[in-house]
Amino acid sequence: MGRMSRRAAGLLVGLLSASAALAGCGSDSADGPVTLRFVWWGNEDRAKVTREAVEEFRRRNPDIRVETEYSGYDAYFQKLSTQVAGGAGPDLLQLDRATLGEYAGRNVLAALDEYVGKALKVDRISPDLLEGGKVDGKQYAVAGGATTQVLVFDPTHFEAAGARVPTAAGERWTWAEFADAMAKVGAAGTVAGTTDFGWAVDWFEVWLRQHGKRLYTAEGGLGFTAEDLTRYWESIGALRAGRGATPAEVTTKMDGSVQNSGIVTRQAASEIGYDSTVTGYFGAFGTGLKLAPLPSDVAETGMAALPPVSFAVARRSEHKEAAVKLLDFLLNDPAAGKLLGASRGVPPNEEIRAQVCAAAEGGTKAVCDYEEAQKDKIGPAFGAWPTGASAIKRDFQRTYDDVIFGRVGAADAARRVIQDAEKSLGS
Amino acid sequence: MTQSALTRPDALDPPPPAPAGTARRRRGQGVAYLFLSPWIVGAALLTIGPMVASLYLSFTDYDLFDSPEWVGFDNYATMFTGDERFWHAAWTTTEYVLLSVPLKLALALAVALLLNRPRRGVGLYRSAFYAPSLLGASVSVALAWRALFSTDGTVDEVLAGLGIDTGGWVDQPRYALLTLVALAAWQFGAPMVIFLAGLKQVPRELYEAAAIDGAGPARRLFGITLPMLSPVILFNLVLETINAFQAFTGAFVVSSGRGGPSDSTLLYPLYLYQRGFTDFRMGYASAMAWVLLVVVAALTALVFRSSRRWVFYAGEDR
Repeated sequence: MGRMSRRAAGLLVGLLSASAALAGCGSDSADGPVTLRFVWWGNEDRAKVTREAVEEFRRRNPDIRVETEYSGYDAYFQKLSTQVAGGAGPDLLQLDRATLGEYAGRNVLAALDEYVGKALKVDRISPDLLEGGKVDGKQYAVAGGATTQVLVFDPTHFEAAGARVPTAAGERWTWAEFADAMAKVGAAGTVAGTTDFGWAVDWFEVWLRQHGKRLYTAEGGLGFTAEDLTRYWESIGALRAGRGATPAEVTTKMDGSVQNSGIVTRQAASEIGYDSTVTGYFGAFGTGLKLAPLPSDVAETGMAALPPVSFAVARRSEHKEAAVKLLDFLLNDPAAGKLLGASRGVPPNEEIRAQVCAAAEGGTKAVCDYEEAQKDKIGPAFGAWPTGASAIKRDFQRTYDDVIFGRVGAADAARRVIQDAEKSLGS
Repeated sequence: MTQSALTRPDALDPPPPAPAGTARRRRGQGVAYLFLSPWIVGAALLTIGPMVASLYLSFTDYDLFDSPEWVGFDNYATMFTGDERFWHAAWTTTEYVLLSVPLKLALALAVALLLNRPRRGVGLYRSAFYAPSLLGASVSVALAWRALFSTDGTVDEVLAGLGIDTGGWVDQPRYALLTLVALAAWQFGAPMVIFLAGLKQVPRELYEAAAIDGAGPARRLFGITLPMLSPVILFNLVLETINAFQAFTGAFVVSSGRGGPSDSTLLYPLYLYQRGFTDFRMGYASAMAWVLLVVVAALTALVFRSSRRWVFYAGEDR
């Protein structure tokens, strides 16, 4: 290798610095209009109404520009983690229970306590719901809606099989009655009684609360034992054996999305879910679905008012005030509330919820009616999940796959879940 | 990748002596560097830089958001001693490589042999067989694959019509990986084109001589075609093996990024991705990437070493 000529060397240096400058995208300066980036996941309907609400915000605040971006759940989090890591993260973002603790615990979110009660009004949002946005006692996120657990079912199958599902206010049913109804539908032969719900930690959490336990303790440790999980999974196994629950090859595809759900793909007559997705079910299935509470053998139903999604402000955001302003608008402005409707569960602000529900129809009306009917069974929110929760949720489902395909017994699998979870919580 | 130029003795002649006057040579070099500069800049910024960074990260605990923490060889130690899924992913990928590479090469070679004959419409067939590879490892193909092989999908329906009830292949741990192997094998176009080019290089007179000696088609295939084609086989084998170890898209799409059902499609790069981007363990993921690099490099070296025994270059004395 000979030495480069000075000119060529200079040119190389120039090229290198130019491309370095291109690679590090400049951030906008503080003067002039502020530009916010607001991102969320969800379907087209949610995107449409959210954009309309943002437009309304822009009309009232011409000095704030808002760039919006949305995608499906998985893609959203794939992009979000890389963008945040690369310093190009959004200002206002949407999280769910599994990811809130993940991002708050890793120092990505701004604590909102200094804004609460001032620029960010929360007096119309129930304290229970606000609790779900707290991590280590600080308010890192605010619920973008309220939801609770629900059994969505197609009454035609249950009527045909002569199985009864309680839907009226104040009616309840036990796990034995539930299992009996599902087995009857399964025996009738066209579809399974219910989508096997053993894969999601969410429903295990409900069952645990009925048994006086927790999925996660207040300190962020595990609140259950391998024995608890073994019992839970074995009871579902009994259900699966008689086609009361979907077979393994159907269950393995579950991801919580409406289009893959057992009821929409006509594999099951019912499905446990969150009522924030009911409008999606109605849209994908057509009409005729009904809603029932989850079964319980005790007074405690395990159902709770939960935030299906929360909004948070990034710690690195250069325009926190503007982001909080937009957040406040989305939560508390009647016009925004009217536009957003039940696209993220029923509105968290009680006044707006009453307005939206009064004018509701279709899926939204079904959700409002259900929330009203089950009011006295819905307990306070469970609190945020700790850092590591999203890995635990995934490992839980993966291990359950092994159980339903008969590769490992429920007891061994439960022990493995505990082992993996302890590792994830320690990370 | 033809076999002649590399092994002709005269190809190894020393280059002509450099012209006198170092100044002129310097200028020539400057121009060369000038023309090379886009590549140099690209390689430095987009390949070498990130590689060095990932080597450093592999010795740290890095969650993407906070600054990396030096942990020495911890990631590597955990990988080899405390991570069952690492071994499972390594084995799954090995299985995938062992199944998909030979199948893909055999298909590519078989079809290349068929298309090597002058027939009417041969160009059309060549294009048709090459088309799936043009689509490459794209997401759309993998999506189509998932639709074909899922429960109540096309394949399931057709087989059920024939009275064979297998259920959906991608939804069953026993078959899910095989659907990925089939997907890889179906995209045999690139090695096929290279095989075709190799076949065109085999001298006709060898076949004529063999025919006069009374060699049948099988004898001609094993006695002439394959030995003459062996450098091309080596090239394809190395390339496809490296590609198969890095296979990600198909598994990612077919299993919605989970590697399921029951971890049966958890290819190594998919697990690496999960560790990095869903568990926020980027240091660990970087360490996994380097382990993969070392293993693939070692295997490639082994294949090259073994090639002395089975690769035949025209002009060699045997």
